[in-house]
Amino acid sequence: MRRAGALVLTVVLVWALASSAGAPYYAGKVVEIVVPTSPGGPSDILVRAIAPYLEKHIAGNPSVRVRNMPGGGTILGSNWFALNAKPDGLTLLAAPVGSTIAYIVRNPAVRYDFRNFKLVAVSGSGAVFYVSPRTGVRRAADLPQARDLVMGSPSPPGNVLTAIVAMDLLGVNPKVVFGFEGVGPARLAFERGELTLDFQSTIVYVTQVQPLVRAGRAVPLMTLGYLDERGRVVRDPAVPDLPTVYEVYQQIHGRKPDGLLRWKAFRALFAAGWVYGRGLWAPGGTPPEVLRELHEAVDRMNRDPDFQRDVAQRLLEGYALHRGDRVEAVVHRNLQITLDVVKFIRDLMRDKYGQEI
Amino acid sequence: MVDAALNALATFASPLRLGLLLVGVLAGLVVGILPGLGGIVAISLLLPLIFRLDPPTALATLTGALAVVYTADVITSVLVGTPGSPAAAPTAMEGHALARQGQAARALAAAFLSSVAGGLLGVVGLTLSIPVARPLVMLLGSPELFSFTVLGLAYAGSLLGRSPLRGLLSGLLGLLLGLVGPAPAAAEFRYTFGQLYLLDGLSLEVLALGVFGVAEVVSLLARGGAIARQAGLGGGWWDGVRDVLTHRWLVVRGALIGVWAGILPAIGATAASWMAYGHAVATSRDRDRFGRGDVRGIVAPESANNAATAGDLIPTLLFSVPGGPAAAVILGALYAYGVYPGPRLIQDHLDLVYVIVWSFSLANILGAAVCFALSPAVARLTHIPFAWVAPPLLVTMALGAYQTTRHAGDLLALLLLGLLGWAMKRSGWPRAPLLIGFVLAKPMERYFWLTVKLHGWSWLGHPGVLAIAALIVVPPLVAAVRRARAQSRPTPGRGVGAPATDTRPEPVAVFMAAVAVLAFGLGAGQGLGFQYDARLMPLLASVPGLFLGVVQLARVVRGEPVGPVDEEGVDDDGSPQRPRVQAELYGFGVVAAYLLGVWLVGFHVASFGFVALLLWQAGKVRPPLAVLSAAAALACFQLLAAGFDLRWPTGLLLR
Repeated sequence: MRRAGALVLTVVLVWALASSAGAPYYAGKVVEIVVPTSPGGPSDILVRAIAPYLEKHIAGNPSVRVRNMPGGGTILGSNWFALNAKPDGLTLLAAPVGSTIAYIVRNPAVRYDFRNFKLVAVSGSGAVFYVSPRTGVRRAADLPQARDLVMGSPSPPGNVLTAIVAMDLLGVNPKVVFGFEGVGPARLAFERGELTLDFQSTIVYVTQVQPLVRAGRAVPLMTLGYLDERGRVVRDPAVPDLPTVYEVYQQIHGRKPDGLLRWKAFRALFAAGWVYGRGLWAPGGTPPEVLRELHEAVDRMNRDPDFQRDVAQRLLEGYALHRGDRVEAVVHRNLQITLDVVKFIRDLMRDKYGQEI
Repeated sequence: MVDAALNALATFASPLRLGLLLVGVLAGLVVGILPGLGGIVAISLLLPLIFRLDPPTALATLTGALAVVYTADVITSVLVGTPGSPAAAPTAMEGHALARQGQAARALAAAFLSSVAGGLLGVVGLTLSIPVARPLVMLLGSPELFSFTVLGLAYAGSLLGRSPLRGLLSGLLGLLLGLVGPAPAAAEFRYTFGQLYLLDGLSLEVLALGVFGVAEVVSLLARGGAIARQAGLGGGWWDGVRDVLTHRWLVVRGALIGVWAGILPAIGATAASWMAYGHAVATSRDRDRFGRGDVRGIVAPESANNAATAGDLIPTLLFSVPGGPAAAVILGALYAYGVYPGPRLIQDHLDLVYVIVWSFSLANILGAAVCFALSPAVARLTHIPFAWVAPPLLVTMALGAYQTTRHAGDLLALLLLGLLGWAMKRSGWPRAPLLIGFVLAKPMERYFWLTVKLHGWSWLGHPGVLAIAALIVVPPLVAAVRRARAQSRPTPGRGVGAPATDTRPEPVAVFMAAVAVLAFGLGAGQGLGFQYDARLMPLLASVPGLFLGVVQLARVVRGEPVGPVDEEGVDDDGSPQRPRVQAELYGFGVVAAYLLGVWLVGFHVASFGFVALLLWQAGKVRPPLAVLSAAAALACFQLLAAGFDLRWPTGLLLR
């Protein structure tokens, strides 16, 4: 009897061990994605749209939950992640543009360092500049001659920094009015005629501004551009018929901007804030096999036709969702800006617009 | 258009859709009843559904949750005087005063009915506005928006209460508190004192919860007994229904104010409630009962806040610019379906627009029906000892406050704002201007700078601005003329407290005035150091505040009587004040100890100990029963938190 009992016990133990060794790491676990904004914003919706596909494609089908931690202009949640998340692959951070910009301009409240994180996946977006026909500007190269350019912006810093630095690079001096509640109200002010120059992400441009273009009430000028895998500036895949800031600089000045401090500042903001603006991060010490699991899930997700239709087309605007390990080195390089560039951006904002950032 | 509307209605023939709409409504009701939790909690709870359901079903669920929050928040407001959501603060004043006079049923009926009426009128506004709102909104530039915020502040003028000096101070203090955090027009974080928690400013939820909720709980605890001072549910349901019918035009005007506030960016349901309340006060000839349980002060704001929710959807659907945080989630859901609201929405997806319209209407009716059904039972809460109601209520408030950022700062803010609210109440400072100043401070500053920078001074001649200026100036003039005429007839004067026999300074009043002087002094001192574009509003609020505060301080030190202490007036029963203040301070200590406990040893241990101790000590419940009740309450919170994905502090010491 006792031997039979021991045998049963052994069998059960061996079976349990074998099955636990064979079971995927994520089986029966809960993955929490920290989103440092309130629910409902574009970055939150994107994460929530991706969550069911992560559940489907991570081996072991964990349940994936979103945890909103707003506050401190997206810094509070990102700090929390840096200080509290265990490196077990069960807590991830969806860093919105605000956290990235705060990091690269070295906001003193920032307690996180992307160099200590591992990249799971990253995607980006682009943006389009357009003017009112009243300005007389027909194409981007006309901008330096234009007068009465008025652009609206939420309070600095934030993503409008990219637009301001772009204008400075091209030698254009628009009046910038700070104080809009967001980019949406600024767009409405453009429609009302209170503003004459505006800058919107491509998805907003395609859905909200193109009808104005067709009605003759807005003139599209240029895009920020996009970066290919090797870091070269290319045309924005979502709006390929418009020139990029890089091209427009050459049209105006007859030479390439590479090497200029102004260009470095623009490129830094454009890369960190837009091209790699939506990153999903894991804590630094996450075991390689867990990271591999996540990275493979990104591959499987990209191959999923449902994901392509529901998420990639609608919310990623056709921009690729990169597997983190493939682009990690590039992203890390783009997130580190030298102090002279940070100082240039600060000085520009202070001297031209009276804003200390 | 009629076809599309009818087709959309036909989509509700499916039991699944109707069922999920009801799920949304129930989630919205729970969140509305629980103080501190707003519509955004209900809607983000339901958000994962949108990736699993078809668009009409998901939109019905989300809209259902959104539509009823401002119907259900009435219950908490009327019964325990704690606003279920910030927008219900006027109802917490007037409705709760009625409840204490034993007329809870009447207040609830009037509030539910005007809520549903406001919601339905709002949705009519939404439907009618679809063809005309676009050109209309295009007329509203920054100068017009700025003028509207000034109009909102002018409405607050009718809420200054018995002492204009204290009313003004309260409004200025609200402005100052509203300015904490990022300046709208400059890269400057103001009054953050190096605290990351303050970087986004104070949360409206925590402010309303502290200033109205905590203060009320402390007073009720100290007084002991049940909430209602008279037995029976009083006047009854039909009185409330009759009230709404009598004041039907006030309901309609409230709804108009609400829709309008919803359309305007940055002005939401809370501002709508107070503007409607101010409108009700301003247009009433007999104002004596306001603040002491006047049903007109319930029907106007309740109609307005439900209508504002519908109004919020107008810019959301027409321009892709969300009218409020909850509308932002609806917008996100539409994006997720590849539907981009804006110029093309009406042509491409009129069916979805009507699904939202119908869901909103159905949810309003369903929500009010459920509330009516629940009320006879919950209204009895006003007749059991308050010491039994207080512990779970305070636990809910702490849990609710903690959801705003899930940072220990939420608990501290709740405590300090509670102390402020209590001190204001005890020293006869009206709290309405504080809340209005708070919600309007940033929009006003924002649109002022946009206006001046975009238009120079030419905007002063815009026809829209002139029309709004007339709205600000004419009603007070008419009222003044009317009053001048009335003064020729003798009117029965209202006794403002007994003649002061005791001229010793009131300690709480001195404390409150000193706090105000300190706050304004700090505000002015720091304000001088801000960047140019961030300096004007802080100085506009704190410099006059400092002067008036010093005057107030001098008055109370000389022993100016506080007058009837409760805004509701019903507490003014001539009982000696000092012992009551002591009892309330003791109650405050209990609340502080609890919040500190939550921070130190975590939510579970602290809440269990707090509920059990309070039931035993204050509620006179036998210890075994108290412990059992505490365990049961904790189990309920556990369920609630699991269901609504709430978090709680784990405790500094137990990490």
